[in-house]
Amino acid sequence: MKTMAFSKTYGKRRVLELPELELPEGQITAVIGPNGSGKSTFAKILAGIERADEKKALLSGGSVGYLPQKSFPFRMSTVKNILTNGNDPARAAALMMALDIEALAGQSAKKLSGGETARMALCRILMSRYDLLILDEPTTAMDMESTLAAEKLIRDTCGETGCAVLLITHSISQARRIADRVLVLQRGELIEQGAAEAVLSAPSKEETRRFLDFYGL
Amino acid sequence: MGSSIRKAIELILSADPELLNILSTTAKVCLTSSVLALVIGVPLGILFGAERFPGRKVLLVLNRTLIGMPPVVCGLLFYMLFSGVGPFRHLHLLFTVKLMIIAQVVLITPIIIGVMETFVADTAPALRETTRGLGFGRIKEYKLLINECLYSIFSAYLLSFARAIAEVGAVAMVGGAIAWKTNVMTTAIMMYTNRGSFTLGIALGLILLTLSLLVNVVLSLMQGRLSR
Amino acid sequence: MKKTISLLLALIMILALCACGQSAAPAPAAAQAPAPAEEPAPAAEPAPEPAALVVDTCILKEADDAMINNYSLLAVNPDAPFADADGNPVTDVELNTVGAAALINWLLSEEGQDLAANYGFDQYGEYLFYLKDGRPVSTAEIPAATEETKKIRLSTTTSVNDSGLLGYLLPIFEDKYGYEVEVYSAGTGKSIANAKMGNADLILVHSKKQEEAFIEEGFSYVLDGMDAERLNWMYNYFVLCGPSADPAGVKEAADVKAAFKAIADGKYTFISRGDGSGTHTKEISLWPEELGITADAESFKDYTDWYISANTGMGACLVMAEEMHAYILTDKATFLTFVANDGVMG
Repeated sequence: MKTMAFSKTYGKRRVLELPELELPEGQITAVIGPNGSGKSTFAKILAGIERADEKKALLSGGSVGYLPQKSFPFRMSTVKNILTNGNDPARAAALMMALDIEALAGQSAKKLSGGETARMALCRILMSRYDLLILDEPTTAMDMESTLAAEKLIRDTCGETGCAVLLITHSISQARRIADRVLVLQRGELIEQGAAEAVLSAPSKEETRRFLDFYGL
Repeated sequence: MGSSIRKAIELILSADPELLNILSTTAKVCLTSSVLALVIGVPLGILFGAERFPGRKVLLVLNRTLIGMPPVVCGLLFYMLFSGVGPFRHLHLLFTVKLMIIAQVVLITPIIIGVMETFVADTAPALRETTRGLGFGRIKEYKLLINECLYSIFSAYLLSFARAIAEVGAVAMVGGAIAWKTNVMTTAIMMYTNRGSFTLGIALGLILLTLSLLVNVVLSLMQGRLSR
Repeated sequence: MKKTISLLLALIMILALCACGQSAAPAPAAAQAPAPAEEPAPAAEPAPEPAALVVDTCILKEADDAMINNYSLLAVNPDAPFADADGNPVTDVELNTVGAAALINWLLSEEGQDLAANYGFDQYGEYLFYLKDGRPVSTAEIPAATEETKKIRLSTTTSVNDSGLLGYLLPIFEDKYGYEVEVYSAGTGKSIANAKMGNADLILVHSKKQEEAFIEEGFSYVLDGMDAERLNWMYNYFVLCGPSADPAGVKEAADVKAAFKAIADGKYTFISRGDGSGTHTKEISLWPEELGITADAESFKDYTDWYISANTGMGACLVMAEEMHAYILTDKATFLTFVANDGVMG
């Protein structure tokens, strides 16, 4: 999949200015960068939640699924209802099993912990098939065990359905674990992109190196 | 207080026909007006909270002003409009239960709109981000939003019922506190107080509070079940 | 469901406990009431029985011609110069003139007059209303109610309504002829204004000045078989009440005006209705002119140490007068009800 070049301005402040990008199908593209580098805004614009300055379609077509950083908890429903809302229960059960929340199926979403809510949200977005799946820090609230299970699930879904995954993450180790490609953002600009292994082990740009060093890697 | 409580119990036990008439008028007015206000106010409140449209801010300021309208002013307005010389005289509504209900709906609806708007404005953006991310349409989005609102709809209803049952200025003005017809608990309490029958006034007040307590207990239990 | 029942039970228990606790302990209000504020009560006087409140306020001056309280009926004129809030004339105000005439004719019939004259005697041992000499009497045939004439709107004052007279008379009339009388009761001013706005078919009030203004403006008319608009058929007396010790010496005063002067001179506490009611209007007319007391709050701002403008109903004012050992002008009917109920009004 391809995205057009676009920019985003709040008032007079330009927060994002990106060139045309390639999001290969069947691969996970991780977006890394420090806080405030425009990662989430990038995700929202691609998902169509926010508009770019250009006000035109940015994607070359296909359906888009987007999991926001703060996914709405749907306090008034049970986990099962949230997941199977019009979809097949077998898949819901499989997803819940994969993330170890099948025991919570009958519970009200209100009673879930932060990590459980995050797992439920991930299950929910994986219920449907999309050509492009945008996940904004899906594992931030999870512990290590759940994070690894979630990563495996994302990986498998990507492989099985052949969709393009755009994974916003602040965890470089996560990017290293599951990403095929990496985009590095800083102050709203793309400073480096390429195969995950290459960018993360041998960054070509000084800024990328400084950013990676800063995070102790 | 003790004598008032005893009087209140005596009054209930004696099943005084006038008291029963006052109670049934009160129930009719309060329940109808609060439910009507809910039916009008909830959709408007959700709309104001969830949508952004030109004039929304102005309408919200107007709504907040209406929340602060003194009931007696509302009553006076309706009295003038529906008087024998008022523009709506041919409807013959002055001093009827119907007009009391209408006046209370006008008083209460802004409160419901305000409560719902505050809640929805807080909830809708995050919900919308998630539902759009899932690729849901507007109808499904609103369905989910309303489902999330259920708890606050109950809260809004409790508030509006409380306002309806406690309100005296408007119902006294447009109802005229006519015995056997438009006299409700609050106007009866006012009448007895003016007469100096303080004990009877407090006795009626206690009955009113007890009824209000019962309604609140039932609704709170329903609300509790909802959150389970 | 279980929760509901247990909560209900708890509520009933609380109420019952309150009731029981109260009957065991003496009422605190009763203990307070006999403590005199100004009276030089002898210390030897033992506390009176705590069960019943004894009303100390009593009638000090009555049956004075200056205190006559005339009750009049006025039919509202269907061709009156009704006007909306902006003063634009309204010509199609709908009034039930047939119903109003029927009620007036019945009240002025032999039956209605007898009932009114005897009202209250069984209960208080005194007549509350007297029939006026030369009163209008009706012998007109009273038509039974029809669907159009059934509802009669009567605007009256709270003191008339509180006396219970209408509650006694109207059901008899309604049963006999099939009408339904809706009684709107408010202060004289509001009650007359209500009629002027086309919301009443007839008025029953007791304030001659305001009645005459009402007629003057064309809001009333002469019914068939009557001589005048104002049908003044009944009267009673306002009474001047006060503490039984009568520190102002009102009882000995030559007439009621002298009595009011004595209260003002000695600055004894006086409770005024202060609500523009007929009683209030009457009271204002009884003060010495040099005091300049009117319905306007400005006029008594120098007398606030003894002149209390309560702005509430007659009964509430009587309770106040009893508690403050104050003088008060009241209609006799309300006062008798007050005494009959041991000063707690119900």
